[in-house]
Amino acid sequence: MMRAILVKRNDPRSEDEKNELQMNELRELAGAAGYKVISELTQTRHPDRKYHLGRGKVEELALIVADLKPDKVIFHNPLSTMQIYNISETCRCETIDKFQLILEIFATRATTHRSKLQVELARLEYELPRARAVISILKKDERPGFMGLGGYEDSYAQDIKNRMTRIRNELETIQKDNESLRAHRHSKGFSLASLAGYTNAGKSTLFNALVDENVESKDMLFTTLLPTTRSLKVEGRDILITDTVGFIEDLPHWMVDAFRSTLDEIFLADVVLLVVDSSETFETIRKKLLVCHETMWDQLQDVAIVTVFNKIDLIIDDELQEKITGLAYLAPNPVSVSAKTGFGFEELKTKIRDLLPEWKRIELTIPLSEEGMSLVAWIYDEGVVHSINYTDVISIDFEARDKVINKAISLVNGLS
Amino acid sequence: MFDIIAVDISGRHKVNDEYLMVCAAVAASVTADHIEKINQITLRTFRSKSAPDIQSVVKMIETTVSELQFNGTIVTEAGDFYNKPQWLINSMFTRDFKYQESLSERRSIEIAHHASLSSRKLLLKELEIQ
Repeated sequence: MMRAILVKRNDPRSEDEKNELQMNELRELAGAAGYKVISELTQTRHPDRKYHLGRGKVEELALIVADLKPDKVIFHNPLSTMQIYNISETCRCETIDKFQLILEIFATRATTHRSKLQVELARLEYELPRARAVISILKKDERPGFMGLGGYEDSYAQDIKNRMTRIRNELETIQKDNESLRAHRHSKGFSLASLAGYTNAGKSTLFNALVDENVESKDMLFTTLLPTTRSLKVEGRDILITDTVGFIEDLPHWMVDAFRSTLDEIFLADVVLLVVDSSETFETIRKKLLVCHETMWDQLQDVAIVTVFNKIDLIIDDELQEKITGLAYLAPNPVSVSAKTGFGFEELKTKIRDLLPEWKRIELTIPLSEEGMSLVAWIYDEGVVHSINYTDVISIDFEARDKVINKAISLVNGLS
Repeated sequence: MFDIIAVDISGRHKVNDEYLMVCAAVAASVTADHIEKINQITLRTFRSKSAPDIQSVVKMIETTVSELQFNGTIVTEAGDFYNKPQWLINSMFTRDFKYQESLSERRSIEIAHHASLSSRKLLLKELEIQ
């Protein structure tokens, strides 16, 4: 296991609780990336241009590094290229910030071609603004003077840009395939639901419990990187439910863009299940819900949201009620469940069912013939049959999408 | 359902040596993710020679909101108060105040923004300022 030292600069007058929360998240992220945290360092001050922390604090950090010999120093705060360079020079240890750490996690978890491309794209986007600076820092001593390395610097940045364009084109092709798959599923009468929420809220566990599958779920951030989709029957209706990547506070927008296709699953759903870990403190839940609203704000339009208060086996009822009432203005359609024990699943399914796009109910009389029977079989496939009566004719009472009903009517007209 | 008053101010930049600002207040009943009903919208214009500071922003908002017949918590974007902490701004208001949080609050502010921006454009055209 690799060893790391965590560093965080707190803003003066910032709330202790928030700082502790952020530090905790960094710890969990480091754990998820496979680091063992051997020491932590915080300082409260305004950022320094050269070192981000104060000069004295960086020297203190250098002593700790010399003593403990970690593999990496990980900063919570975003660092500029110059700051990364200066800190690693002083500490003699590789230094990264939170975004690079997230990229590292994504890189190790990416298994398919598509996710590897997305990670590569995110990495390049992170690198591009730094490309010029990195070159000029590295070649500082070799600069022959007036003209410098201009040409080389440009070609390096250009090279990154070219690679990004290539990856984007490739991703676009994959994207189109996915979109047609989604449209196909929609047209087959499936409604789409997706699980969204802060990372580590228990989305994958809930997903597994709902569809009885074995998707990897761990007590770790970003266990799910690629959306997994399975079908689920909710009171007669087939829905496809998708497990997605978790949200995280101040995830930079370029990274969100790079992982767009994952998030697209959320934005194109009919119902979004926003999963919340109800065992956390009121304030933590509120902050995490804010991040979710923030992430979903731009893309989410008229999609229904169900807020799933998960992990209720860990808290008492009164506490849960207090949280649900207090957070009502952030938590639409609240349902409390325990993915572990299966409590509340029925209520959740009813809620999902209520919010799905409406189906119409109709009664049809179909001639009792071979074609009629095959039509009945087709209706059984596409909709929910409430009652069926065989006399001289078949009277069927069923519920389905507009399209199916129209087709059934025209087929019946054709038959008679 | 919750009653809120979403507020947005347009025109916080100099045009012809003065600031011509339009403040829009939208009284709405909302749930967490949807606006259920828009109850009323009011608009007020303000002119000033100097850039608005926090106090004047508070004053503009209070004046505009006072014309509404509906109650509710005043909701704005944090940027309207130069990202100052909420407790500080809260103490300056005579009514309930908070920064935008939920989807519906953001949506209501968007409506206020469109209202104030388009009325300001119309005003500039009428006054032949631009």
